Amino acid sequence: MTTLGGFDEGEFLAGFLAEAEEHLARAQKSLTALDSAARVGSAAPKPVRELFRAMHTLKGLSSMVGVEPVVEITHEMETLLRGADRSGGALGGATVQLLSTAVRALDVRLKQLAAGKPVTAAPRELLAALAHAPSATTQHGGAQVLLPEALAGKLGQSELAQLALGASRGERAVRVDFTPSPESAARGVNITSVRERLATVAELVKVLPLSRPVTADSPGGLSFAMVLLTRESDARLAEVSQLEASAFVALPSREAPASEPAVEEVEEPESRSYVRVEVSRLDDALERLGGLVVLRFRLARAAADLEARGVDVRELKAVLSEHSRSVRDLRSAVMRSRLVPVSEVLARVPLIVRGLAQSTGKPVRADVDGGSAELDKSVAERVFPALVHLLRNAVDHALEPAAERVAAGKPQEGLITVRCESRGSSQLELSVSDDGAGIDRERVAQRAGRPVPKTDAELLELITRPGLSTLDTATRTSGRGMGMDIVRKVAVEQLGGELLLSTERGKGTTFTLRIPLSITIIDALSFRCGGQTFVTPIGAVEDVVEVEPGAVTSSPSPPGADGSRGGAVRLLRRRGEALPLVSLPHLLNLTPAPQGLPKALIVRKSHQRCALLVDRMIGRQEVVVRPIGDPLVTVPGVSGSTDLGDGVPTLVLDLGAYAAPGRTRKELELT
Amino acid sequence: MSTLHILFRVGEADYVLPAQDVEQMESFSGATRVPGAPPYVSGLMQIRGKVVPVVDLRVRFGLPAQDISLDSRVVVGRHGDRRVGLLVDRAREVIKLAPDQFRAPPDVVAAQAQGFVRSVAQAGERLVMLIDFEKVIGREV
Repeated sequence: MTTLGGFDEGEFLAGFLAEAEEHLARAQKSLTALDSAARVGSAAPKPVRELFRAMHTLKGLSSMVGVEPVVEITHEMETLLRGADRSGGALGGATVQLLSTAVRALDVRLKQLAAGKPVTAAPRELLAALAHAPSATTQHGGAQVLLPEALAGKLGQSELAQLALGASRGERAVRVDFTPSPESAARGVNITSVRERLATVAELVKVLPLSRPVTADSPGGLSFAMVLLTRESDARLAEVSQLEASAFVALPSREAPASEPAVEEVEEPESRSYVRVEVSRLDDALERLGGLVVLRFRLARAAADLEARGVDVRELKAVLSEHSRSVRDLRSAVMRSRLVPVSEVLARVPLIVRGLAQSTGKPVRADVDGGSAELDKSVAERVFPALVHLLRNAVDHALEPAAERVAAGKPQEGLITVRCESRGSSQLELSVSDDGAGIDRERVAQRAGRPVPKTDAELLELITRPGLSTLDTATRTSGRGMGMDIVRKVAVEQLGGELLLSTERGKGTTFTLRIPLSITIIDALSFRCGGQTFVTPIGAVEDVVEVEPGAVTSSPSPPGADGSRGGAVRLLRRRGEALPLVSLPHLLNLTPAPQGLPKALIVRKSHQRCALLVDRMIGRQEVVVRPIGDPLVTVPGVSGSTDLGDGVPTLVLDLGAYAAPGRTRKELELT
Repeated sequence: MSTLHILFRVGEADYVLPAQDVEQMESFSGATRVPGAPPYVSGLMQIRGKVVPVVDLRVRFGLPAQDISLDSRVVVGRHGDRRVGLLVDRAREVIKLAPDQFRAPPDVVAAQAQGFVRSVAQAGERLVMLIDFEKVIGREV
C-alpha cells in the first residue's frame, strides 16, 4: 500500500532474519542430500539447484539489509553452485565440506546480526577456497559494466562481479530511480512493490537508499537507486513496475556480451511459515469483517423481534452470543495480523542517524528503545516519514557543531534519543529528543513576524506553520523548522493524534508524537453534494455516469390516496437498464448545486442497483476514516469522518444505506 | 471553597460550566453538517486534531438560530469519554463561584429550561445558571 521511503532495510530486519533462517535450514537439507550423493559419487542436480536458490535469495535479501559479509559468502557459493549445476550437478566430498563450512559461517553472522552485535567480516581463506573449488567455473571478467560515479562506490566486489557476470551472459544492466511520493503512494506504488515487481522480470543487484532534498513530491526526502540485470526492454520493465519509462537508464558495458543462456529456475519454491502479505489484502479482510459485524446486529434485532412475538428463542440467543464471541475473536485476530513491532519500525533509526552524521560531519549517537509495543502497519507507514523529519531536524539544526558543544561543556558527540511507550490500550507515545541547543524562541518569532511565544505549545504552533519551513538559512540558527508542518500534518491530520514539544535553551528539545495504534484507511471517491463535500468507499460504487437530460424518464406513478402528486419516480437509462434515480442532496436535506451535467453514482445493494445524483465528482484518494463515536452524530448512512487536508471534518457516507431496499420507495417520493 | 467557572451567554441569559469540565474554547467558523442528526446539532468540528460534535445551545434552548458572529464561541465540555462542543453567543469570562452560592432554580426557570438548568447562582449583579451538561448533550443510548 502506501509507503515510504527507506523503510525497507530496517523495517524488515526481523522479517529478514526469519527468512534467512529458513534459507539456511533449507541449505542444510540440500547439503545433507549433496553429502550422501558425494559419498556414492553420483550427481545431484536437484539439491544443487535448491542450495543455489537458497543462497541466491539470501544474497539478494542480505544486500538490501546491507550485511556485506553474508553477501560475499553467498555470492561465492552461488558462483560455485552455478558452475556445478552447469557441469551436471556433481560435487566432490571436499567441495560439500567447504559449502558446509560456508553455511556455518553464514549462520554465525546472522546470529550476530540478530543479537545486534557487529558482524564479523567474511574469512578471506573461505572466500578464496570457494572461488577456487573444483566445480566452480568463474565467469567474471568477460564483460564489465560501466557505472556512474554516484553508484560505483556503493557497490561491493561481489555485486560488481554479479553485474559483470550478467553482462557476459547477455543481460542488460539497468539503473532505476524511484522517489516515493504521496502521488505514487496513492497509486499503491512503493519501494516494496517496485522491488517485488521488478524481481519478476529482472535480477536485482543492489537497492540503494539515497537522501534528496525534501519537496512536496518527496516529503520523505528519500529516493532509491536500483541496479538490476535483465533481458527485458525498458518499456516492459516500466509496465511491470508501474514506473515511468524515463526512470530506467541502461548502464553500458565494456565488452560485447557472450551469448550464453541463463539457468532456468522454474521449480516451485517450498512453503514457508513466514508470509509477506500486501496490506491491501489485510484491509480487505478488515472491511469484510466490518460487514459481518453489521450482520450480527441485524441478526440480534431479528431475534429480538421474534422474542417480542412470543417465540421461544433461547437456543437462537445462545447461538447468537457464541457467534458474537467468534466475531470478536476474529476481529482481534485480523487486527493482530496487521501489527508490526515498534522496535522493527525503529530499527532503521541508527542507520539514518549515521547517514545524517556523515552528511553533516557532526558526531552523533543514536539511543533507540522501541519497547515491546506493536502498532498497525498502516500507522507505521504513515508515521515513519514524520520520524525521519524529526531525526533530520535534530541532527541538521538542533545539534551544535562539535566545537560549540565542547565549549558549552557538553560531550563532543551529540545524542539523539528515540523512545516509544504505550499510552493506554489505544495510543502510542513516540518521542525524539536531542541534547542540542534548544529552540531560540526570539529567532523563530522574529522570522515568523509574530510575538515571542510564551509556552512550548505556542512555540510549536508557530514552527508548524506552513511556509516557515521554507526559510532554511534562518532555520539553521533557530534550530528547528524544516518540514515541521509535515510532521504535524502526519500526526494530527492523517493519524488523528497529537504533536507535543518541550524545549530548553542549551539543554535540548523533545518532540512527542501521540498516535493511535490503528486506523482504518479506505480508497475513497470524493464528491460535492448540496454545497458539502463527502467521501464514500470506492468499493461501494459500481460506476460514475454523467446524467444526460435525455437519459432520464419519469415512470408513471399512481397518485397517493390523499391526492398527493404521486411522486413521479425518475429512472435513469443505463446500458439498457432503467435504474431508480435518487437525488442525494434531497435525501440529505441539502440544496443541490450542480455544476455542468450532474453525475450519478451507481450503487448496488443486494440485487438492486440505484443511481444517486450528486453535484459533481472531485476525485479519488486514500483517506483515514475516524469513527464517529458520539451518539449525537451517530446516524445511519454516515460511517465516519475524515480529513481531506483542510482541517475540516468530511463525512464518510455509506451509500448502500441510501440504496437499501425498503428505504428506496420513501426516498423516491422525496425526489 | 470557590471554584472557577466558565461564563457564557446564550440569548439574553448567562450560563456557567465548571472550568474543570471544560477542555477548551474555540472561535467558531462553521461545522460540517451531519444529515440525520438532531436539529440542535450544528455538526462536526475538528479541534486540535479531535473531531467533536457541536450542539447549538440557542436551538437546544428553543431560541431562534442566529448567524455566526465574531463573538460566537465553542465551549468544549467533557463528560466521561465524550467531548462535545457547545455553540454559544459569547464566552469571555471566568468567574469564581462557591458551592453555597448555588440554589435550586426558581420554578419558572426550571419549567422553561426543560431541566437543562441544574441550579442558579448570584454573581454580583448577575444571575447565572449552571448547565446540566450531561442532559444537554443527551445520555448515551
